[in-house]
Amino acid sequence: MKYMIMMFGSAATMMETQPREWILEMIEFMHQLDEDLRNAGELVSSDGLADGTQAKTVTFQDGITVVTDGPFAESKESVIGFWIVDVESQARAVEIASRVVAFTHGPIEVRQVMDAPPDL
Amino acid sequence: MRTDSCAEDLLRDLAPQVLGRLVRRHGQFDACEDAVQEALLAAALQWAERGVPDDPRSWLMTVASRRLVDIWRSDSARQRREEYAAALELPDQGQPAGQDDTLRLLFLCCHPALSVPSQLALTLRAVGGLTTAEVARAFLVPEATMAQRISRAKQSVKATGLAFELPPETERADRLRVVLHVLYLVFNEGHTTSSGLAPQRADLTTEAIRLARLLHQLAPAEAEVTGLLALLLLTNARGAARTDADGFLVPLAEQRRNLWNAAEIDEGVALITRTLGTAPIGPYQLQAAIAAVHDEAPSAEETDWPQILALYDVLKRVAPGPVVTLNRAVALAMVDGPRAGLALLGTLDADGRLTNTHRLDAVRGHLLELAGDSVAARMCYLRAVRMTASIPEQRYLALRAANLG
Repeated sequence: MKYMIMMFGSAATMMETQPREWILEMIEFMHQLDEDLRNAGELVSSDGLADGTQAKTVTFQDGITVVTDGPFAESKESVIGFWIVDVESQARAVEIASRVVAFTHGPIEVRQVMDAPPDL
Repeated sequence: MRTDSCAEDLLRDLAPQVLGRLVRRHGQFDACEDAVQEALLAAALQWAERGVPDDPRSWLMTVASRRLVDIWRSDSARQRREEYAAALELPDQGQPAGQDDTLRLLFLCCHPALSVPSQLALTLRAVGGLTTAEVARAFLVPEATMAQRISRAKQSVKATGLAFELPPETERADRLRVVLHVLYLVFNEGHTTSSGLAPQRADLTTEAIRLARLLHQLAPAEAEVTGLLALLLLTNARGAARTDADGFLVPLAEQRRNLWNAAEIDEGVALITRTLGTAPIGPYQLQAAIAAVHDEAPSAEETDWPQILALYDVLKRVAPGPVVTLNRAVALAMVDGPRAGLALLGTLDADGRLTNTHRLDAVRGHLLELAGDSVAARMCYLRAVRMTASIPEQRYLALRAANLG
């Protein structure tokens, strides 16, 4: 089963408010997590997103598409990175998410990636 | 898998020659390119098993031609098929094969009618002889995505009816500039990476240098080609020192210079030294000269900044632009003090072209730090943190800010 593990918040804000030692530990933590997931054969992909302030949001208003600067959600609630993992169970996906939350203290959402027939 | 690296080098050298010859004889770049890719794959398998044939170029030509006939056979138009079959019988028209064809291929793949991503992908596949999977890996995209990109690029070559010819003398300089820019972008993609985690991707830097070297052999009198090759060598020479053991970026001033590649520096310096003054000066020669000054300094403190500033002054006249101003501001700061550099950076705020990138704030942060204004420097670094799309750069900037916090 595939799950998308979504991390919310702002990496830039984290880096602004945390000391150097924490930033270094965080980098080490993320490296280690990806390596562990890769070694376990569970990692499909993982990526970080550029800061939410750099996002564009496209909406439909009064019959036309409108492009605005900034993320759809509040900056502090926008997605900053994700993992797609292929795991045995939802419990395992939640376990991975918990390991991240215990370190970053930020919220994470675990969502199953739906199966689709190959021709869709 | 190609195991024998000698055979692989040979294949990659022969790939554009064979493709060029096929396209010259039959037109139809897209079909010929497919045929050559399949011949390369066949060679990689068979040569590994049975050894390299006595005349590898003819071997590839024969296999690629046969494959081309197969492609045409599956074409539904009988008449065209027969025409092509007849064309295949034509003797090679006695033109010297190889060299000029490779140059024609480069000009075709770097045609200004193609989009930049198309130019890069086509050049790497058709001239560089890389497989779609290798090009995809180099650009960190899925193979299917890259296959689509290459297929679209080949479609536009076909639809635009781009000729397999050397550009006329009146257009040559402009067309060559595009080719140089494509090779420069391939190198840069490998050297700095516009996105992603890996700070450097050696494959693309090596490939860009290989192609620049090839172009230099084909056009030895072009000073800007020599300039580009020298610039790539002099920049690549610092590659091993650009990141530390933990993968963090190391700025030029803090790099361990004993890790720099002396052979590449020697070659780059020799190339640029014998080229300067032999032809009109151009941006690649100037950037190579600047890189040479950095590379020849025994330590950061001993860098000849007045000379670098003088070279930037010339570069500003030859090829003005915001990035040149940005770099010139750093040189100016090193010669006349950080405040002079900051004043020059101020002119870029009104310009607007760099205000949405992290580079302006990153450099401003650096100069403010040199000026002793750590509060303002930290704010600049943090703004830059939000704007970069490169994880190594984001981390570097965040740590710079944290040091001042």
